[in-house]
Formats: sequence, structure tokens, C-alpha cells
Amino acid sequence: MSPEHLSALWLSVKVSVFATALNAVLGIPLAYLLARRQFWGKSALDVLVTLPLVLPPTVTGYYLILLLGRRGWLGAPLYQATGWSVAFTWYAAVITATVMALPLLVRTARAAIESVDRNLERAAYTLGRPEWRTALEVTLPLARNGILAGLVLAFARALGEFGATLMLAGNIPGKTQTLPLSIYTAVQTGEAGQALALVGLLTLLSCAVVVASARLGARAL
Amino acid sequence: MSQRLEVRLVKRLPGFTLDVEWSAGDGVAVLFGPSGAGKTLTLNCLAGLLEPDAGRIVVGQHVLFDSATGVNVPTQRRSLGYVFQGYALFPHLSVAANIAFGLRGRPRAEVQRRSAEVIERMGLTGLEYRRPHEISGGQRQRVALGRALAPDPAFLLLDEPLSALDVGLRQSLREELAGILSEWHVAAVLVTHDVQEAYRLGDRIVVYEAGQAIQAAPRSELLWQPASERVAGILGIRNVLRGTVVKASHDRIHIRWRGQILESVNSPIRSYLPDPDTPIAFFIRPEYVRLIRKDRGPADPAHHMNLLSGQIVRESDFGTTVTLYMKLDVPGRPAQGDYDLEVEVPRLVYEILELARDRRWQLSMHRGSIQVLPGPR
Repeated sequence: MSPEHLSALWLSVKVSVFATALNAVLGIPLAYLLARRQFWGKSALDVLVTLPLVLPPTVTGYYLILLLGRRGWLGAPLYQATGWSVAFTWYAAVITATVMALPLLVRTARAAIESVDRNLERAAYTLGRPEWRTALEVTLPLARNGILAGLVLAFARALGEFGATLMLAGNIPGKTQTLPLSIYTAVQTGEAGQALALVGLLTLLSCAVVVASARLGARAL
Repeated sequence: MSQRLEVRLVKRLPGFTLDVEWSAGDGVAVLFGPSGAGKTLTLNCLAGLLEPDAGRIVVGQHVLFDSATGVNVPTQRRSLGYVFQGYALFPHLSVAANIAFGLRGRPRAEVQRRSAEVIERMGLTGLEYRRPHEISGGQRQRVALGRALAPDPAFLLLDEPLSALDVGLRQSLREELAGILSEWHVAAVLVTHDVQEAYRLGDRIVVYEAGQAIQAAPRSELLWQPASERVAGILGIRNVLRGTVVKASHDRIHIRWRGQILESVNSPIRSYLPDPDTPIAFFIRPEYVRLIRKDRGPADPAHHMNLLSGQIVRESDFGTTVTLYMKLDVPGRPAQGDYDLEVEVPRLVYEILELARDRRWQLSMHRGSIQVLPGPR
């Protein structure tokens, strides 16, 4: 395997790990809120989080450019202030992978949290626990398998992310070229043998993920 | 600890309104009534898990909720123990961790001392490290009670604690629960739809129907003086009959029923004095109807009050008791379908009197066994 492809593999793993970590930090509280709280704008938030699952990845990617690109709603002020833009960096790959993977984690974790008997939470309240402690000590531990399964799925989604990444992070070898982008490039440039090897590698990783999530009892997909 | 509980609640839900007012002293108050009458809703309002639209909840000196002053103490600070239907034990925690759950924030030595004490008093020694699914139903009940009682709550709430169990276990756990409640001297509110459970466990019984508390009374009073025909119906009281008043005084009411005159007691406390010819509902407890023995000479009207005669048309054998369905020897339609009265006799009496063979009997009821059900004023 060429150093270029090795670096693509390394970048993919790095991006997926960071994206999965961000998913955990954002997605688990989000799943809890959607499962247990009623608040204004809840269904809008639900739709927003789920949208990347149903939109073509290039569309999601385009929205991210509108948001974070050098002339984007958030990107422009950032660029004016610091002269730096997230577009075409590996951070952009992390952000797109996070956004694309989030619905898988949120949906799986939300279903797991909703299946926890509410009386267990009520019991904790009557025994003096505030809601956030109850979530940490009762709800999340009991929803653990579903949440872990969601994280595994999120990791897999991040690993396979292509379209949105291409839009925001580009396809810069050694910088933003992840494994799926590298496969695309290999096919385009006629390196059939390399492409096959990378495809096999990605297939293997994905199989491992499916087995792992099945073991953890993922139900929402 | 002396705890007086005063409850006044209004809670409107789609298609259902809870509007109740009752109070209870020390001991166990039972909320009794059919499913969907608002009993568990009341419990959840008491626990602060649900906010009433209006009302006031006072335990001892503490106001937990008052819509007039905007007081609403959060669940966490209400100092109550809640035993949920199905117990709601934390499945991922050991028996010991379940029991110590409410002791968080206390010094470690005290937590250990108190949990050890509760585990021992609940007879759970040796099961400390088991998970809830690894112990029996009876042990689970004790863990649930132990977990609720460990923080020494001001009062205990129990939601249908026995309903998930099968009959055999249910009876023994009912006795165990009665023992624990009296041993720990904790004021409790218990919800049930089982009349036997209500009588066995309740010092005071609040009868619920369709979102209203239609009677709140000490157990003995409820047994003998249901406030209305509705209460009698919910309590499953048999032989609820309708007649007309002949005359009423402070201690007697004479009732015309099926062409006969029955004499019953009136309660001086209640001072219910209906006019003659007023329709009136009353009941005769089946286990208090006497059959007159034929081997001791003819019945003496001076001695045998409310003398009637009739024949057994059907019977139901309940093992230890037999219920006889009797039709009186008077013209007209029987009061309850094909019979007038249910009479319940112990199996021994059934055999001694050879009731299987001999179907014609004279009956007598003491006036104290006929209870009048006041109608709406």
C-alpha cells in the first residue's frame, strides 16, 4: 500500500474517532432531551438532526459550505477575525462526519432511552436525586447498550463519509483525502489494484462495525 | 412520628378530571376504587411527580403544595418513600446499592450503618450483592420497602404493591406488608383496587370513583356504614336492595320490602330521617342471615327478628363457604333476578343442616345486620 493510501487510512480513522467523540458529547444529551423533555421547537430540532440522514450528502455538504465556508454565515466573521477558515482542512472532515453521523447516534440512543422504565427515574427523584444525576446514574447506564450501538454506527458512518466531506473539506491528498475519497481517486486514475485493496479494507472495517452493533442490540436503523 | 395528611386536589386531564378532598391521620390510608378512578394520579400529585391545577397538600406541619400561595416543593425534597407498582427496583444495581440509593450525601459510616440495619430488619441478609432479577418476588417487595424506608421518610406511598403477584404469594406478601407497615410506624398512603387488601391494610379507607373521593372513613365505619349506594356498589357489597320507608326514628328505620316489614338500625351519628314512603336503599350482609334450625321447635317471632321464609333456588360452592340464592315465599318478582337474597353459610353449617337435601328454610336477620344506605339529600 502506498504511503498516500496509508495516510488516507490514518486520516479516516482519526476523523472518525474525533467525529464519534463529538457525537457522544453532542448526541447523547440531545437524545436524552428528545426522549424525555417537552420543549418549544422540539420537533424542529428533531427534523434538523435527522435531515442529514435523508438529504443527499452533497446537499448537506452545500449547507455546511453556506454555514462554515469562507463567505459563510459563521465562516465569514471567523475569516475576517482570524484569517483562517475551516474549509479544506481536516477539521472540516471531522465536522461533516459529525453532522452526517449524528442522526444515527441520536435515533438509536433516543430509542434506548425511551425504553427505560420511567418509574425507575421517578423512583430516583423520590429518593432525592435531581434529574441530571438520575440521568447519569439510572437512565444512561440502563440505555448503555443502545447508546454504544449508536456510537458504533456513528463511527461506521463517519468512516464511510464521502459526499459532504468532498464539498466542505475537498480531496487534498495527505490533508483531507480520507479513505473513501482515496478510493474514488484510485478508480478515477485507473489504479484498479489499489482501489480493490482499499475497498476490501473498508468492507472489512464495516463488517466489524455491523457485528459489533448487532452484539450491542441496536434496534433503530 | 405523628403525621396528619391533608389533601385537596384538582387535576384536569383530557377526558378526565380529578377533584378530591380527604384527610388521614397516622397509620395507613388506603385509596380504594376501580381502575381509572384517579388513585395513582393522586399518589403522583402527592409525590410531586405531577403538578395539580389547584389544591393544597399538607403533611404534618409541612405544606408541600398550595396553589393559592404558589408553594410546590420538588419531589426530591418532599421526604417521601414511594413503592411503585412492580417495585421499580434499579435492575443494574445490587440489593445493597438499591437500599442505599436514597442515603446519598450522608457520611459514609452512617450510610453503611443504616443500610446494614435496613437489610437486616427486612430479612435480606446474604442477598446484598444479588441483582433484583436474581431474587424472589417477596424479596423484591422487601427491597422496595427497604429502599423507600431507608432515608426515614415522613410518609410512604404505595401504588398497588401486590397487584403484580399471583394469588398464593399475594396473600402471604399482604400479611408481610401489614407487618412491616405497623412495625415501622410510618404514615402511609396505599392504592389498591382489591377490597380485601383495602380492609386488611387500611386504617382509613378513601373510596374513589371517577375522579372523586366519595367517602373517607375509618375501616370499621366503611364496613358498616357505606355513605351511599355507589360506595356499596364499589365495595362489592351484596344484597343491595331497594324498599320504601315505613317510619324512621333516630335509632330505627322500618322498611317495606317485598311485602314484608324489615326493622333495621339507624345511626344516631348520621341522623338520617327520611319521610314515610321515601324510596330507600339498604343492604343485608349474606354472612349475617341466619337459617332457623328445624330441630329446635318453631321459630319465635319475639326472639327471631325479621323472620322470612323461602327456598334455595341455586347455590355457589366457594370451598370454605357456600352461597345460597334464596327466593322468598311471597308473590311478585324476586328482587335480584331469580332470587331475593344471597345467604352465605360456612361449609360446616351446610353439611350439618343437610342443605343439599333440604331446600326450604325460614330466615332471620338481626336489625343490626340490615344497613340503610342514605340517598342523595
